[in-house]
Amino acid sequence: MTPGILLLAPLSLLPFVFIVAMSLSRVHLLGGVRFDFAGLANWARVFTDPDVGMAWVRSLSYFVLTVGIEMVLGVVFALCLWRLLRGRNAVLSLLLLPMFVAPVFVGLLGRFLTDSTFGLYAWVLRHLGFETDVLGSQGTAFAAVVLMDVWEWTPLITMIALAGLSSVPLSIREAAALDGTSGWQLLRYVVLPSISSVLLVALLIRSMDAIRYFDIIWVTTNGGPADATKIVPVRLYEVAFRFFDLGYAAAIGLLMLAVSILVARAFVRLLDRKGLAR
Amino acid sequence: MITPRSASNHRPGDLSRRRFLGGVLGGAGALAGAGLLGGCGASGSAVARHPEGGMWRQFAGSTLNFISENTAPTAAIAANVRPFTELTGITLNIVTLELSALVQKVALDLASGRSTYQVIYADPYQVLAPYAKGLVDLRELMADPSLPQVPLGVGDFIPTHLEAAGKFVSPDEIYALPYDCPTLIWQYRRDLFEKYRDRMAHDLGFDPMPGDASTWDQYYAIARWFNDNARDDVPYGTGHQAKQNDSLMNDFSNLLWAYGGDYFDNGRAVGGLGTVDPGPCRLDSPAAAEAANFYAKLLKVAHPASLTWDWDGLGNAFAAGQVAMCPNWHEYAASNEAKLPGKVDYARLPRGPVRSANMYGGTGLGISATTTADERRAAWLFAVWATAPEIELANLRSKAGGGTPTRTSVYQMPEVVAAEHRPSTMPNILTAPAVSKAWEPENIGLRPKIPMWNECDTAIFTQLSRMLAGDSGPDQAMRDTTDQINRIVSRGWVASS
Repeated sequence: MTPGILLLAPLSLLPFVFIVAMSLSRVHLLGGVRFDFAGLANWARVFTDPDVGMAWVRSLSYFVLTVGIEMVLGVVFALCLWRLLRGRNAVLSLLLLPMFVAPVFVGLLGRFLTDSTFGLYAWVLRHLGFETDVLGSQGTAFAAVVLMDVWEWTPLITMIALAGLSSVPLSIREAAALDGTSGWQLLRYVVLPSISSVLLVALLIRSMDAIRYFDIIWVTTNGGPADATKIVPVRLYEVAFRFFDLGYAAAIGLLMLAVSILVARAFVRLLDRKGLAR
Repeated sequence: MITPRSASNHRPGDLSRRRFLGGVLGGAGALAGAGLLGGCGASGSAVARHPEGGMWRQFAGSTLNFISENTAPTAAIAANVRPFTELTGITLNIVTLELSALVQKVALDLASGRSTYQVIYADPYQVLAPYAKGLVDLRELMADPSLPQVPLGVGDFIPTHLEAAGKFVSPDEIYALPYDCPTLIWQYRRDLFEKYRDRMAHDLGFDPMPGDASTWDQYYAIARWFNDNARDDVPYGTGHQAKQNDSLMNDFSNLLWAYGGDYFDNGRAVGGLGTVDPGPCRLDSPAAAEAANFYAKLLKVAHPASLTWDWDGLGNAFAAGQVAMCPNWHEYAASNEAKLPGKVDYARLPRGPVRSANMYGGTGLGISATTTADERRAAWLFAVWATAPEIELANLRSKAGGGTPTRTSVYQMPEVVAAEHRPSTMPNILTAPAVSKAWEPENIGLRPKIPMWNECDTAIFTQLSRMLAGDSGPDQAMRDTTDQINRIVSRGWVASS
């Protein structure tokens, strides 16, 4: 284990210990970084701060919506591509393009497309009778940042699901067809169970990413309007790098880490039950 | 076959795995610690003094780093930095960033104890107030006979600029030389106002042309009139920078002060010299609630995208002909003139029941206190050069950007006075009559200069954003902001204490 620990120590363990110490301190910056022990004050604040509490509620909503929509759309697109016999590679290449764009550019693109002065989507929406500015009201701004993330990452789910679908044995599908199963029954009882493990891995990857979503929101709405898109990572950034309250930011960050680990553990346990974790 | 080695196989003097690991980690820790301490002690300065070079060339061959917000004045300096290098022999690297990124870099640079950036764009509210202890008191350099003096003395800087951008708490210490001076003024489409002047005057019962007597109620009436009567020429009467951002606080503050409200008691002093303990927040006053009420009413008739615009968004929309008027930073005049030549004019912001208030957003050039003595001296050369009258004049003429001068003497130069009227070769100076009124002590708007301003600012624009979204009424928004600011102030400023 020594080589592993030697590698991990500078990369993870020392920073982790540093962050834990930070979360128990008031951190002074000028004249060199200095920690003053503050006990559990930052941790007490994390659990009583209504702004952080609301940020968690928004994070949860965002997490459920993005990951849920991406999973459903990703599987639907994968099934469509699976059935496509000609031009599949060309369509798949086009479909995957958003995934290769940096999230900050996705945010900028979304902002330009919804800009009420020159945005294409804003123009289309205006002609459909929707006068409100997309990023200017709470509901539409939240929906917009969710959809930007969905646009970027649904292709990843599609790609993973398609890989899973390719491994469904033809013999089973033929046997099911001989037994007279309908398309829905084939999907429900043969295809989806066959790719469930792959989908679980896709879910795990996207979940870990969704918890720390930041770039698109920062570029488009800055957490507004009225805090409607201020999820935990945005709040964390604000506390750390706008207010420079690094002790409190460390506590928020560690709580985020704990939640990420719990979510990951839940998925790994599910995989374990299927005998796929090892 | 490999078998696990049992403990009994150890001989005295053998290095156990645990001891080896402990030793390696301890050594790594010691090395890291030594590296950090070493890093704190020596900065590997790229500045060396050659006294024989005389006052301006004593640091020839050195390199300085200047970190700045990506503003028009710095764009002009960056485009014309060669004269400085020719004068001093110093190579100047300029790093330009968006303001919040700049604040992060500066804070971390000061914390590291190594001055990567010797010259700092010291925003008075986000850099100077929180990190004043990390900046050099420039009086020590002014008193150094081996260095050039500030041309015409610091008294040539516009007094409100020197106080707001250059000082913190003490009236004597000077931490920054005023470098730029964006100020919120009333920008309006003169062509449209002239076209509809008579009709508006008839319908509204007053002369709509912006002037010293104009009021915010009249501004609102004009905005509505444009909405109702001039859609073919312009979609909306007014636009605002009401995104959940620093810009929203700026936009609202003009009204807060115009209605007689303020963030803290003795607001002029808290905004001027600043303080570390501003006392209780006063946003729960009736005047503040009245201002918030009017602001909410005004935003209801403004361009709906106002809720998504910061100053850049608003500037682009105004130049694109989306609104007939707006309050925005006066340094947008150059881009207005480029896109709407001859069609835009400027005035001081309207009066409220108490006064006209025009948010000042100027900044000074400071020098990092984590520099060596020679680095400070070399940095001083740049600070003096960049704020000299002839450079401010050159910035006005720059095609690359350029702000407006912070020195009284530059505004008095005949070519500058002549350029205040069209045709002008210095488009930003077209705003001079408006901003000179805005900078008068009774009209200037100075936000609180306190170390914890960033967090207070966030509380203000977040609550205002909630109010504009309909989540809370004006009274409630002001009360909630007051509570939040009182909590922030009572916690005190952590990072630099």
